[in-house]
Amino acid sequence: MADLLEVGVLFAAVAAVGAVAARLDKSVIPFYILTGIALGPSVAGDLSVEGVTVPSVTASEFVNLGAELGIVFLLFFLGLEFNLDRLLASRSRIGTAGTVDLLINFGVGLVLGFALFGEALAALLVAGIVYISSSAIITKSLIDLGWIANPEADPMLGTLVYEDLFIAVYLAVAAALVAGGDSLGDAALSVGVALGFIAVLVVAVHVGTPAFERALRTGSNELLVLRAVGVTVLVAGVALAVGVSEAVAAFFVGMGFGSTSQVERLEGLLEPVRDVFAAVFFVWIGVETDPALLPGVAGLVLVAVLVTTPTKLVSGYLGGRTYGLSPRRSARVGLGMVSRGEFSLIIATAALAGAGAGLSTEVAETLYAFTVGYVLVMSVVGTLLMQYSGPFEAFATARFGPG
Amino acid sequence: MDVTESDLPGVGKRHTVPLGDGRELVIVTHNTGTREVFVKEHPDADSEKLLELSDRLARTVGTILEGAYFQPVESEHVETMLTEGTLLEWYAVDEGSPLAGTTLRDAAVGERTGVTVVAVQRDGDVIAGPGPETTIEAGDTLVVVGDRESCEAFEATLLGSAG
Repeated sequence: MADLLEVGVLFAAVAAVGAVAARLDKSVIPFYILTGIALGPSVAGDLSVEGVTVPSVTASEFVNLGAELGIVFLLFFLGLEFNLDRLLASRSRIGTAGTVDLLINFGVGLVLGFALFGEALAALLVAGIVYISSSAIITKSLIDLGWIANPEADPMLGTLVYEDLFIAVYLAVAAALVAGGDSLGDAALSVGVALGFIAVLVVAVHVGTPAFERALRTGSNELLVLRAVGVTVLVAGVALAVGVSEAVAAFFVGMGFGSTSQVERLEGLLEPVRDVFAAVFFVWIGVETDPALLPGVAGLVLVAVLVTTPTKLVSGYLGGRTYGLSPRRSARVGLGMVSRGEFSLIIATAALAGAGAGLSTEVAETLYAFTVGYVLVMSVVGTLLMQYSGPFEAFATARFGPG
Repeated sequence: MDVTESDLPGVGKRHTVPLGDGRELVIVTHNTGTREVFVKEHPDADSEKLLELSDRLARTVGTILEGAYFQPVESEHVETMLTEGTLLEWYAVDEGSPLAGTTLRDAAVGERTGVTVVAVQRDGDVIAGPGPETTIEAGDTLVVVGDRESCEAFEATLLGSAG
């Protein structure tokens, strides 16, 4: 099929299901993934109606690159909205809530991953996948439900900031380990390179603000967007070329731009760019998913859902209490943190990239299918828990008192 | 009045304004410029959304609230905090005010109360930086600067209730 037609099918389908998701007040993420599965080679690609090929989407060069750009822009935005001063200003509360969140969820994730896959690297990846909550889903739900005006928004957004910083470092290490060779020395070397690269970027962000400021100084929206995209994608590309995570590089470029006076303009102008490529990324996730593998991982997904929903409820509740919130509002924090989404998928993508290197192909593919199933469930469960929070709030008040 | 500001990473900022009767007004300003306005029946209550304004609309509404188009000073005086402790206030001069008909020099409000008259609004015109020969007339609105105590003393003088 003609490439342009394929891309047209992709975007038209995304637009259609996006409208459905908005009508249903649900996150778009599971809808995009299911669209990808439905349009992918295993479903639509196999269909023909009376001899006419049904339009389908393959993991073509454009879709692959678009998905890659989706990852880059998702992480770029994370960096753009990440404010180190803000983190330092409320470091004791964010630090406590974030550390509780990390210890409980990453810790349980490590044990769970080892129990499910029986090897250390897979366990490390599972830990990351179940640890990182979805900024996209949670922020959208907070706004939709009006919780954004309530105090429970503070520990939720604060914890997300902590998770974001952790995941930037984690991704660099995980990508290095997954790609790394067999020997411990090789692994240590690639982790060292990854951490060294982060250190260079942190210094560049720290001393580079005036340069960033100058680079972005223009009255023209067009030039601003082009310069921001140019710098971000170039740095991400260089990172990938030298074997470091492009997502992490994009995060730090975002952080650098975030400290300039143009940050609000950039957010407004680049949000649609991010959303377009993020949609390609989620569809690509679906296209890459072999639906035949999903039933095989259903058991793993079920176990992970049953274990890691309560862990977020507990860590979120404790985080809310750290912020001095009532049991009722703390229960909401727990419910809100349950959603997992884009970042879990990015980690799974890193796992897939390591198939045959740090991970065996079989483990990598199982891990990938597991993550897709897990995110499909958790993105829906998380949104539903927030929408029907009443019984949980009543329980928390009855169990722990009103104050 | 204790307005609190909190950052909402990835969303924008939130300002909480106590309304004095136990309720709170919550304004969420999105990075996109959209303002969402909520009210809380009491500080522990859930926020209930009142309205959502685009950036342009929010600025227009804000300007109206600020009194740029119409200032109902006849019923109440308006005050604006210049800095901590320094007020900029508007006072209407009534028919029976002891200051009506006197010049600023004779009124000597600076010596008597500590405030400075920085402008006189009369029939839609503004006399900025009025000199000592400027006569205060009934129907004028005086714009004065001073600390809270001075402004209260001035109000008493204006109303003729000072000793």
